[in-house]
Amino acid sequence: MAILQIRQAIRDAMKEEMLRDDRVFLMGEEVGYYNGAYKASEGLLDQFGPKRVIDTPIVETGFAGVGIGAAMCGLRPIIEFMTFNFSAVAFDQILNNAAKIRHMTNGQFGVPIVFRGPNAAAHMLGSTHSQAFEPYYAHIPGLKVVAVATPYDAKGLLKSAIRDDNPVIFLESELMYSVKGEVPDEEYTIPIGKADIKREGKHVTLVTWGQGVPVSLKTAELAAKEGIEVEVIDLRTLRPLDTDAIIDSVKKTNRAVVLFHDWPYGGVGCEIIARIQELAFDHLDAPVLRECYEDVPFPYAENLENLCLPTPEKGLAAVKKVLYKRG
Amino acid sequence: MATVVTLPRLSDTMEEGVIAKWRIKVGDKIKRGQVIAEIETDKATMEFESFDSGTVLKLVAAEGEALPVGATIAVFGKPGENPDAGGKTSEAKASKPVEGTTPISGTAPPEGANGEALIADPAGDEAKAAVEADAEGVSAKPASPEGQGAKDMSKAPARDDGRVPASPLARRLAREHDLEIAEIPGSGPHGRVVKTDVEQAIAAGGTAPRAPASAPASQAATSATSAPAAPAASDKPAQRAPAASTATYSTEADIDGRPYVSRATRTIKLSQMRKTIVKRMGQSKREAPHIYLTTAIHMDRAMAVRAELNAAVDGTKISVNDLIVLACARALRKHPKVNSNYTEAGIVEHGDIHVGVAVALDDGLVVPVIRFADQKSITAISRETRDLGQRAKAKELRPEEMAGSTFTISNLGMLGVENFMAVVNPGESAILAVGATNDEPVVEAGAVVVRKVMRVTLCSDHRAFDGADSARFLQTLKALLEAPMALFG
Repeated sequence: MAILQIRQAIRDAMKEEMLRDDRVFLMGEEVGYYNGAYKASEGLLDQFGPKRVIDTPIVETGFAGVGIGAAMCGLRPIIEFMTFNFSAVAFDQILNNAAKIRHMTNGQFGVPIVFRGPNAAAHMLGSTHSQAFEPYYAHIPGLKVVAVATPYDAKGLLKSAIRDDNPVIFLESELMYSVKGEVPDEEYTIPIGKADIKREGKHVTLVTWGQGVPVSLKTAELAAKEGIEVEVIDLRTLRPLDTDAIIDSVKKTNRAVVLFHDWPYGGVGCEIIARIQELAFDHLDAPVLRECYEDVPFPYAENLENLCLPTPEKGLAAVKKVLYKRG
Repeated sequence: MATVVTLPRLSDTMEEGVIAKWRIKVGDKIKRGQVIAEIETDKATMEFESFDSGTVLKLVAAEGEALPVGATIAVFGKPGENPDAGGKTSEAKASKPVEGTTPISGTAPPEGANGEALIADPAGDEAKAAVEADAEGVSAKPASPEGQGAKDMSKAPARDDGRVPASPLARRLAREHDLEIAEIPGSGPHGRVVKTDVEQAIAAGGTAPRAPASAPASQAATSATSAPAAPAASDKPAQRAPAASTATYSTEADIDGRPYVSRATRTIKLSQMRKTIVKRMGQSKREAPHIYLTTAIHMDRAMAVRAELNAAVDGTKISVNDLIVLACARALRKHPKVNSNYTEAGIVEHGDIHVGVAVALDDGLVVPVIRFADQKSITAISRETRDLGQRAKAKELRPEEMAGSTFTISNLGMLGVENFMAVVNPGESAILAVGATNDEPVVEAGAVVVRKVMRVTLCSDHRAFDGADSARFLQTLKALLEAPMALFG
């Protein structure tokens, strides 16, 4: 089994799907000659040529719209946002076209498209480039939202996203493109909508995704030193949500913390907590807590930014709080 | 709105007072703290400083008139206000009715003076509250319903609103185990009942009472003895621990704000048995100078003999304690000084050897007696001890079965006690306190070997005999138990 970085796993997924289906093409800023802002499309222009690996001007609303049109006409575009912060410019295309065409045409047209790119804060990018977009997209019926944290998951889920007949928002992380992991040499896909238990435990359920996964796993390591067994659930897909995986775990542990890289107000964390209280109320021994960004525009200053981020130590504090353990 | 001024309690014992002299008249503007009257109490004539401010609308009490504490004496308000149009007081004063607020004949209290909520009462319990309220300057303001409500809320104990803080899981578990969630003390924040609390309540007897700590009756002969010296050993209530419903929350809380659970202190009435224990043990400790000598006895052979006997003789269930009873009886025959008691007339050396065996009960202890123990076989002692022990637990012993002992054995070994000091039974001069028999490393012939070691302490009345006598008795006892065949000679 090969050890790949997430960026290579993503590149391989796109390459394999482009080889498998010539309707698949990649479009975005710097995806071609520059091999991708984060080198996630390295070598694809050379291999597939400028008709299938298309560099665009800096007009997100334009190339998102072109992609949606192409998808309606039967192609399977992959649209790369250099960061999902820029997708805000294309938000109307995604909200009102990608998510609604199938509904508004009574199924005469579908939009088999993937919007992908890094999401959430990276490192000292300032307040306008440090935002998490899953709450906006997971909010919209008609979209699927995926967030990956390992090379294996990235490749398997991106292939499923490309093959999906509906628009998929595929969230990566600039800080995690270099994360390495085993990826099978043979063909595989991971179904959208399935969570993965990254670590088993019986005392507290820690629900997370994306950048939260490594933080949560470190939280679980810290907790283990104190005899607390934390179960880390990597959702992988935020819409549709694998509710069963969450509820089954909470029924086992009676307590849950949601750890994620996003603001606390509204959003996916709240959706998870809403489902837990609705479906596992009689199994809860403590209120479900969140560990996430501070509720502020992100500071540029490194010391202040660090204070806004979820950390394993903060995660541990939340874990102990739901266990009614002091300190 | 007018303010009602009432007769204050100026001394702890004051019940009524007389306005000796008014220092004010209608129309005067009064400041808080101003002396408004001289009041004769049961002790002295004192100046009365006003708790209120305002213009004097009316002087209700006449000089020289005796009035109960709390009676209306004056009405303050705004100039021109009708003094009879319903007085008001600050919220702090409005909380409690006051005795003696009935209108005094011949006076016309403001309307509403009978309405309890309107009576100003700087006296008694309420005085402090009133003063505090005044200090906050609220007395001059109309009572605020919101403020009052908020105060009540903050004062209300956690569970007074009928809602018990509990996690959903705790509620479900309590439901499933038929427990009242309100009766389970909560350990979570703000007293929240959580899973572990319910689990503890289940374990603590939600279904079955916890087994009493005392030994089962079937082992009574072996183990159901206790020491007069250790009434704590009898502190084994058969009933459950105090019901959880007696638990409340302390006003003290831990660092996380979780209140400690506070359980009621209770006084248990002295039973006749306990009164006897109190009397006799106190008498012994006051009068008899105790000395204590401890020796370690190797019980390997005694244990082996016991096992052999029990296996060989049908229906025999000899205990270690039975062997100790017999060995003591034989040792007493050899050391008559120990089988004695001190009197002012002289040391009484008993001719007969009657060995008492302390038996722990749920609420005390009794000492049935094996009479003529030195002349009985081990099987007879065993049978008799077991029978007495069982009937002691059932409280079926006849008084004569508990009288006349000349020496007592108290065995707490079955409770894991290694060694202890007992209190001599009045009327005797010694009691043997027996500890547990445990495997211990022992040096023999320069090598460490494992032996079954039992420690016994002879607790004796120094008036009757001395330490050396005690030591010699222990030597004999040790020899008998370490070479137990001698007991069968």
